[in-house]
Amino acid sequence: MKNIFKSELTLSQNGFLFDHGSGLTYTLNPTGQFIFKNIEEGKQAPGILRLLINEFDVSEETARKDIDDFFRQLSEAGLID
Amino acid sequence: MGINIGITGLHAADNPAPGIGVIRSLRHPDGWDGKIVGLGYDVMDTGIYDDGLLDDVYLIPYPNQGFDAIFERLAYIHSQVRLDVIIPTLDSELALYQSLEPRLKEIGISLFLPSPESTKNVSKAYIDEFCQEIGIPSPKTFVVKTPSQLDEGFKEIGFPLMVKGIFYEAYHCENKLDALSYFDKIKLKWGLPIILQKVIKAEEFDICCVGSRDGDLLGSVPIRKTRLTDKGKAWAAITIKNPELDKLSKKIIKGLKWAGPCELEILQEKKTNKYYLLEVNPRFPAWIYLCTGAEQNLPKLVVDLALGKDVKPMPCAKSGMTFVRHATDLVCPIEHIEHLTTLGELHYTKSGKEE
Repeated sequence: MKNIFKSELTLSQNGFLFDHGSGLTYTLNPTGQFIFKNIEEGKQAPGILRLLINEFDVSEETARKDIDDFFRQLSEAGLID
Repeated sequence: MGINIGITGLHAADNPAPGIGVIRSLRHPDGWDGKIVGLGYDVMDTGIYDDGLLDDVYLIPYPNQGFDAIFERLAYIHSQVRLDVIIPTLDSELALYQSLEPRLKEIGISLFLPSPESTKNVSKAYIDEFCQEIGIPSPKTFVVKTPSQLDEGFKEIGFPLMVKGIFYEAYHCENKLDALSYFDKIKLKWGLPIILQKVIKAEEFDICCVGSRDGDLLGSVPIRKTRLTDKGKAWAAITIKNPELDKLSKKIIKGLKWAGPCELEILQEKKTNKYYLLEVNPRFPAWIYLCTGAEQNLPKLVVDLALGKDVKPMPCAKSGMTFVRHATDLVCPIEHIEHLTTLGELHYTKSGKEE
């Protein structure tokens, strides 16, 4: 999966995300950090879904909603197209 | 023998001048062995009393005292401490130093300044025209030379608009009543012309640049301001890495054939993501020390340029470096103020005491 982010992003161990292109910062919760790291590693949404269910012991419905919400927020923040 | 540098703009209160940031950059520990000579306008220029920052301080006449008075004072200072380079840091000094440059060069003081032509192109009255020439978007502007042109300007720009003084001050106006009131206020303080400018809903980025005079961009540090004072001055900011801003900076510096430091104010329209050049400030910004923290010591680069050294474009600045401005109280004995008041000069030893 190619890099989908519009500019260089750095996520700290504590979930602090810095957008090098705009100078804006965001705070990600553990779910957001987990999804972000997997996107960075090049995983696709279906793969992330399975990993999220295993990691956080949540239903498929909850995991799918979390992933959709996260992608929507990335888009609203202008971090992805 | 070290290189001695004279720096102006030492007052750093609620609207800080760039001089202190320039000096801190020159003091940055990588082999500086010359003296830093503060050129102040007033005994209460705050940076004079920052222990360890300056080697010598001299008061100089304000630019409106006339070119000869300032030249004579600088020549006297040069005879006392040998000034190799002067870095003027205030907008209001630029024309003065451009005019004095040949005379200062003759006595051994070097400067590195933009040409009067470049400076004219970035004045608020001409920048729109310059942007059109080099194909860079800028907010639509109307220059009001007489009050009778106001209605035509309001009609052409439309509301909301900015009413801006030719040198300082800018006000956001939602309607004609506001605009007339601010027009009168600015006219009384700064005179005509006054600029009417279209308001663009945008994010602002600022870039400190140094140009080579041939149109090369030798250094540039883009930032986003993250905290502003009620006067709109940066109180915190972060360095960024943005290829679009880099391309824009190169194009602007090339178009201007800019020599020395400047600060570009860039808007990115929220709706379209399009970039606009809002203003070019013909000097270092007050936040210049952030550039040094981001691994581009631009004041040192300007000193090298002034000395005629062969310099290469600097590597990309480090993004994610941030500053927070911090107000503090400087304490000094009354003798410091006494020396400056009576003699117009003050000399520090390495222990921080006056000599």
